Amino acid sequence: MPGILETTLLLSVPLLLAAAGELVLERSGSLQIGMEGTMLTGAFVAFAIVHAGKSPGAGLWGAVAAGLLSGALFALFAIVLRADPILTGTAWNLLAAGSTAFGYELIAGKTGAVLELPSLPVVVMGLPWAGLAAFAFPVILHIFFSRTRPGLVLGAAGETPMAVRAQGYSVAGVRSLASLFSGALSGAGGAVLTLSISHTFVEGLTAGRGFLALGIVVFARWRPLALLPATLLVAGATALQYRLQAGGSTQIPYAVFIALPSLLSLAALAVATSRRGAPKALGTPAP
Amino acid sequence: MKRLFTGWSWIPWLTYGAAAGLSVALVLIAGGSPAASARALIESSVLSAPALGESLSRLTGILFSALAAVLAFRGGVLNIGIEGQFLMGGIAAAAIGPMTGLGAASMPLALLASALAGALACLPAAWLSESRGVPPVLSTILLNLVFAAAVTWAVRGPLRDPAGDYPQSRPIPDEQAISTMVPGTRITPAPFLALAAAAGLAVFLWKTSPGLKLRAAGDSPLAAKSAGLSDVKIRTWVFLGSGGLAGLGGGLEVLSVTRRLYDPFATGTGYSGIAAALLGATDPLGAILSSFFLAALGAGSRAMEREAGVPAAIATIIPALAVLAVLTHRAWRERGQ
Amino acid sequence: MAPGRIHALLGENGAGKSTLVAIASGQLRPDTADILRDGRAVTWTSPRQARAEGVTLVPQHDLLVDNATVAENLALLDPMAPFFESKRKRRDRVARAESLFGLPLPPPEDLASSLPVGSRQRVEIAGALLTGPSVLILDEPTAVLSPPEVQTLLQALRTLSESGTAVLVITHRLAEVFEAADDLTVLCRGETVLTRRVEEVTPPEVAALILAGSEGGSRDEVMAGLSETDSRKIEPPRRAATSGQLEEDLVLEVRALATLDSKVPSASLELKPGEALTLLAIDGNGADSFAAAIAGLRPATGSVRVAGAPVALGDPGSYHDAGGAVIPADRRLEGLFPNLTLTENFAVSDRRRGFWLTRKSLEEDARARMSRFSIRASGPEARTRELSGGNQQKVLLARALTPLPKLLIAIHPSRGLDLGSSASVRGFLRDALEEGTAVLIVTSDPDEARLLGAPIRVMYRGRLSRVLDPETPVAELGRYMAGLAE
Repeated sequence: MPGILETTLLLSVPLLLAAAGELVLERSGSLQIGMEGTMLTGAFVAFAIVHAGKSPGAGLWGAVAAGLLSGALFALFAIVLRADPILTGTAWNLLAAGSTAFGYELIAGKTGAVLELPSLPVVVMGLPWAGLAAFAFPVILHIFFSRTRPGLVLGAAGETPMAVRAQGYSVAGVRSLASLFSGALSGAGGAVLTLSISHTFVEGLTAGRGFLALGIVVFARWRPLALLPATLLVAGATALQYRLQAGGSTQIPYAVFIALPSLLSLAALAVATSRRGAPKALGTPAP
Repeated sequence: MKRLFTGWSWIPWLTYGAAAGLSVALVLIAGGSPAASARALIESSVLSAPALGESLSRLTGILFSALAAVLAFRGGVLNIGIEGQFLMGGIAAAAIGPMTGLGAASMPLALLASALAGALACLPAAWLSESRGVPPVLSTILLNLVFAAAVTWAVRGPLRDPAGDYPQSRPIPDEQAISTMVPGTRITPAPFLALAAAAGLAVFLWKTSPGLKLRAAGDSPLAAKSAGLSDVKIRTWVFLGSGGLAGLGGGLEVLSVTRRLYDPFATGTGYSGIAAALLGATDPLGAILSSFFLAALGAGSRAMEREAGVPAAIATIIPALAVLAVLTHRAWRERGQ
Repeated sequence: MAPGRIHALLGENGAGKSTLVAIASGQLRPDTADILRDGRAVTWTSPRQARAEGVTLVPQHDLLVDNATVAENLALLDPMAPFFESKRKRRDRVARAESLFGLPLPPPEDLASSLPVGSRQRVEIAGALLTGPSVLILDEPTAVLSPPEVQTLLQALRTLSESGTAVLVITHRLAEVFEAADDLTVLCRGETVLTRRVEEVTPPEVAALILAGSEGGSRDEVMAGLSETDSRKIEPPRRAATSGQLEEDLVLEVRALATLDSKVPSASLELKPGEALTLLAIDGNGADSFAAAIAGLRPATGSVRVAGAPVALGDPGSYHDAGGAVIPADRRLEGLFPNLTLTENFAVSDRRRGFWLTRKSLEEDARARMSRFSIRASGPEARTRELSGGNQQKVLLARALTPLPKLLIAIHPSRGLDLGSSASVRGFLRDALEEGTAVLIVTSDPDEARLLGAPIRVMYRGRLSRVLDPETPVAELGRYMAGLAE
């Protein structure tokens, strides 16, 4: 049995990937609550590809492609056509839940057995290379936002969209690119969940991790570097919960650990005065 | 005629066509025959008393969730937390019977408690929204996870049935439950209560002064201030009312359908309700139709899977596609103005 | 425009100044235009292109990113900024911008949100200078500044122009024009009516020209457009207060009201039943905020009593309970419920209605109001977003004036309306006055203020002038509005 540290790190990977993607999208001013659906789609696509005999690496890239497609669909509906982003995200979650269950039934429904999949190769500390990349993202994004011009423009799109327009850029364009990025990362997060954590796919595999990623972004107050401690805390609580469950200890109710990440995020929202840190134009249509 | 083309007004209808086409394509991909699938779907959702009973038993939860969404969206509150408020209602209903030991009298009490629990479940989000400026979307989504955890805790802790092997609550005894009206079917009074609630909500929204004020505040909070209304107060009441309806749905689900609380409980009902509200044009009476459609789809999809080999998950896909089409249509209509 | 000179662009609200500079700087695409740059015709389709040609606009409301530092904001404004940049390089840019502008900038690591408005503007202007413009356009740069800040800014602009930059400044303030500009252009309804060197004209001449043009340049037309009701003059309140009852007799009593947007530091006024007062002010001088604060629409401190009852500031319900009604400045955004029907828009604030709404009584009421206020719509079930601007405004009047309130606050009640609609709006306000309602009107149009016929007080930078007679000539009113008289 791997140590609690390794479990924590591994459980962090999908959350970190999805949260990093969502953070970029929210910093650009768009709010996508369909991360859950995108992760689930990535998880399923990775499963389908590997089940068809391809390598886990191919499964991961397939999930990234599926994520990109999800990001493109969200951009089309919520950013270009300007449908309500929240309701689009809600519908997307339903659609992903339905279609992954549908696809899984077609592929595996007849057997009824749990299909064990080969894992992504481990590089270090029980992490696949995609996991290492996940831990690099907060740092990369920090540099992106604080040191590069595209980072400044993207941040401005979520803060003062008119400033971006005055510079001659399209706000909808910037947000659509952010949506593609966020989709790709969430898809990858779903793939890691399938290939390195559960080693199989079941209906509703993500079990709220996409929503948790939303909470982590809030908890981190939209700062990339803060994603690391926020995610490790959440993943650590989950790892501890697995350990306690396996050990049969019931001193701390298991539900407390399930609720802990959300409660922490809610507390972060309640304590902060006003919406400091939140992009000012979050959820408003592009001018 | 000219406007028809220059305004591209036919584009949104394309999305409905695409949604329908995709649904049929999925049936074909699954190797089913669309005709056989449709027959299986209809036969086992409405064409016999047991089938209708199955559809109606699914209607209760979806319709109450849809009404919660209609009330919230009309009042300008994006309550995405109906799922969680529904669960809190379920917990309350499962707790009251065994805890009070009142026998038959505990049933109305349980319903009251479930409505109250649903409303209380909204309070953190309402407070965060009005005094902290936190968008209700974020807070209600996070609260959904908290309330799901509350179910996990309740069925393993205080409400656990000591007799069973699984973590679930004690069964609701017959005299405390809402039982069938037609022997041999699952037709209970619960779905009719939901229909009555829909009619009541329609009357409230369209025929009363508070209902008008609520819709006005939802249409334009700034204009509401100019008209002398307190938009904050209205939004808070909308939140509580929406949660109360969702909670009542959860309570009825426990008392009339499942007779117990277990984990996970009725996953996705709250979200289906949101879909039904949108498909029903955010109108209580429209929500009756769309909720029944969703409920029948859910009930019939099992038979479709058995008889035509089309996975039952299509019952989730079709409404989701339809909602996307409706949202696009709406955005298109508003863009023209 | 010529290099090395400061050119002032003047004109009423809606004269087309902002549109003109938006086209010149590439923010908007013109329908037709000849833009000549160094004698050669140019067209540009984006702000980036215009900047590359050396034309840069500093917008009226700064577009700084609150969450970013001064250094980051300047990096965003600098089109030459490289893809990747260290903190040190960004600090260097702040120093460079400082030397270009000649005025001190806030520390590079300060967040834009922590800066006072004057400093924000300096950052924005310094950022515009980074592009090395040969034409710098500033849209109302002095509107938000205190007098000493204005002096410093004008001096800096003078230095800039002396180093060869052509500077175009949009302003409402004549004093500044005559102090700092070399040339001036007056715009009316999208047409240039005057371009002169500043020495060749006097302030009253220019003021008269600006204000005369505000209603289309044809005053005869305005006079002809007056309906019969417009010839009625407002009578002094019939119920003259006896000395002992003065306190109870006031319908509106505002004491030391300060708006939280700090546009109005402290202002007081009172109104008796049937009395009217026009608050005349150029936009941005606080008249809108002041009036909205009285009606509970904006947060404020101070005390407001309506008909003797204290009103809780920031609570529109309490203002309405006391017998007040309001017509907000932006009828589409803060007035109407666009997706509700006419009947619903009327019924929503009608305090005579009980719990139940019956279609019949709603409809009767709506029809009565529609004919009383001559609202043209397809029927009482039409959604208000489908109506024309004039009819939308009449819907708001019909809502606010039925039943008659004790006090009506009308903010820009005829803004954007044609002559006929404006005249009928004035007529309805007069009718209400005659029935004993006190009316407080905010307008930025001196002609409108004169036509209303009520005593006028001008608000300049949050301060109220003495009471002026409605017969005061437009040019004189203009002097008060521009801060040339107190």
